Amino acid sequence: MKRIFLLLAAFLLASCANKSMTRYEELAPTLEKKGFEATIAQVKKKQKDLYGSNSEFLYYYDLGVLHHYNRNFDESIKNFEKAEKINDDLYTKSVTNEAAAILTNDNIRPYRARPFEILTMYEFQILNYLAKMDLDGALVEVKRSQIAMNRLYQKDADKVNDNGFLRYLSALVYDLEGEQDDAAIAYYKTVKAYDESKMGLPNEVFEFVTESLRRMDREDDIRALKKKELASTPKATAVQEMGQEIIVIGYAGHSPILGEMYLSGTFVSGGVMNLYYKDGETGQRNSFTLVAPPVAGAGSGTFHIGFALPEVRKHPSRVNRFEVSLDGKTRIKPEKVMDVDGELRQNMEDEKTSTITRTAVRVTLRTIAAQKAKSATNTGNGLFDLVKNIGMDVAQGQLEQADLRVGLFLPNSFYMTRLPVEPGSHSVSVAAQGSHGETVGVYNFDKIPVKKGQKVLLIVPAIK
Amino acid sequence: MSKIWTICLCASLAFLVGCSSGGKKVSRIDSNSVTDLSGAWNDTDSRLVADEMITDCLNRPWYQTMIQQKNGQVPTVVIGQVRNKSHEHINVETFIKDIERALINSGKADFVANAEERTELRNELASQAGNATEETRKDAGQEIGADLMLTGTLNSIVDQEGGEQVIYYQVDMELTDIQSHKKVWIGDKKIKKYVSQSSVKM
Repeated sequence: MKRIFLLLAAFLLASCANKSMTRYEELAPTLEKKGFEATIAQVKKKQKDLYGSNSEFLYYYDLGVLHHYNRNFDESIKNFEKAEKINDDLYTKSVTNEAAAILTNDNIRPYRARPFEILTMYEFQILNYLAKMDLDGALVEVKRSQIAMNRLYQKDADKVNDNGFLRYLSALVYDLEGEQDDAAIAYYKTVKAYDESKMGLPNEVFEFVTESLRRMDREDDIRALKKKELASTPKATAVQEMGQEIIVIGYAGHSPILGEMYLSGTFVSGGVMNLYYKDGETGQRNSFTLVAPPVAGAGSGTFHIGFALPEVRKHPSRVNRFEVSLDGKTRIKPEKVMDVDGELRQNMEDEKTSTITRTAVRVTLRTIAAQKAKSATNTGNGLFDLVKNIGMDVAQGQLEQADLRVGLFLPNSFYMTRLPVEPGSHSVSVAAQGSHGETVGVYNFDKIPVKKGQKVLLIVPAIK
Repeated sequence: MSKIWTICLCASLAFLVGCSSGGKKVSRIDSNSVTDLSGAWNDTDSRLVADEMITDCLNRPWYQTMIQQKNGQVPTVVIGQVRNKSHEHINVETFIKDIERALINSGKADFVANAEERTELRNELASQAGNATEETRKDAGQEIGADLMLTGTLNSIVDQEGGEQVIYYQVDMELTDIQSHKKVWIGDKKIKKYVSQSSVKM
């Protein structure tokens, strides 16, 4: 009876397969070859197999992103709202889920969005409402993003939970709403947020910041930013004076994914843990030593362990930048305003210690439990025990899977430029370029009507 | 050995709990009942705010003055823009409908179609001019001009710490004389909600 129960438990646990790699392997080619519409259909069709209930957030998040690229802004809004609701509900942690994760792996827990995914969700929502020309809707999202950001800081004040691009978009929305004081504050915070991140402050962004702060008599704030002050702000001033503008948002390349780094080594309870691993990007073999966590019941035995950790793997991107042409004349190179690759790497760095500690404790506990289970279930029949013990080792190995879950369809980078225009009809052509300046694709927007005072948003999803 | 049993039992239970799903149950409730599920702005807030604000509005001194100016006739009101500046996507349309209902049911004011509805009505009128029979055709230029315009904003402030949240809504409304642009009434209604969310569950 006991053996049957143990086997049943092992079977149930082992059946929680890691879907992350399958998801990537199945959906990435569909996106590459068949486009957004087909990928949306595929995601919906295979929801259960590729996402399951524990990755419900990612299901709606991925759909929200894909619908945004596909210009189905209403659908994108609906899906992001569902993702947001799931994320809010996950504030409450399930004791049973957490306990189960200690015994198996982190994939058994519901996926909790990474901070940059939450903030990106609000960026997409703001852009969705702006694309729909629903300014009040965009303003609601700006306010919701600030609440979300506060919550992230309350949870972990030591980590970078701010985002320059989100602050910049917020400033833009306040500006469009005519709430100039709020816009100036958001512009000021934009610079602070970019300074906190590893990517530099884009020049065009600083021009709009300077123009807003000067207009609102906040010269002291400009000085407080400690940047080289701009003599003039021609583009930002033109946007203010003319009132109309075309805003181009380009999504370049594909965000990185997470791969599995397998570590193996020896564990000495209450002593040290010597680990070896192969770097996924460089192929180099490395080793390091950790202070072994004291584990109840481990005794002083030394045994072999193996565990898996997530690591960032670059997704090859053919598009690295853009060139925008307005009415066949002006040629502008939009600047990078958000670096998703950098955000994911920063997040992995932030989470590194807690991920390694949690994984080490889990693997050690499980290894000890397996050792004890082996000796407790020994029958004295050499052949049967050998087969049983090998089976248990295999089952235990199968259980060890790193949590590789991450939003699959984010771009590698966001680019943005603002073009002041006269009211009337305009044509915009956006060339998506590779790392050497070669044109990978061209996106044409012909005869875009721009009314007096109107802001028109153009989205270029070059996820290639 | 007993520890292994406990671990296996916990893990199996956790898995089964995680895989189980609850069934859906539907029951009808009174549309006037107070229901707070998420702490967000809901139908009860919309209805209560509309009722209370319109009652307050029509019981202020401006009302009698206007009745006298109009020789006993009730004033005609048009609903202008009601802006949502809160942190929630509030359906302003249902709030406006609640205001219209409260206004009409009070019997103290008439109100005319808003700008969007008027455009639709004028299109219909233009269509009738070319298509309807002479006896049933409605004439252009017979609209009743509103005396007053009601406008408003919905604002919110959120204060949060951990799983606790205080949401403060403020609805500001103004009634403006269309002829003189004089503001005859300014009212507000505040709602404060406390929402708590547990950090752990079984």
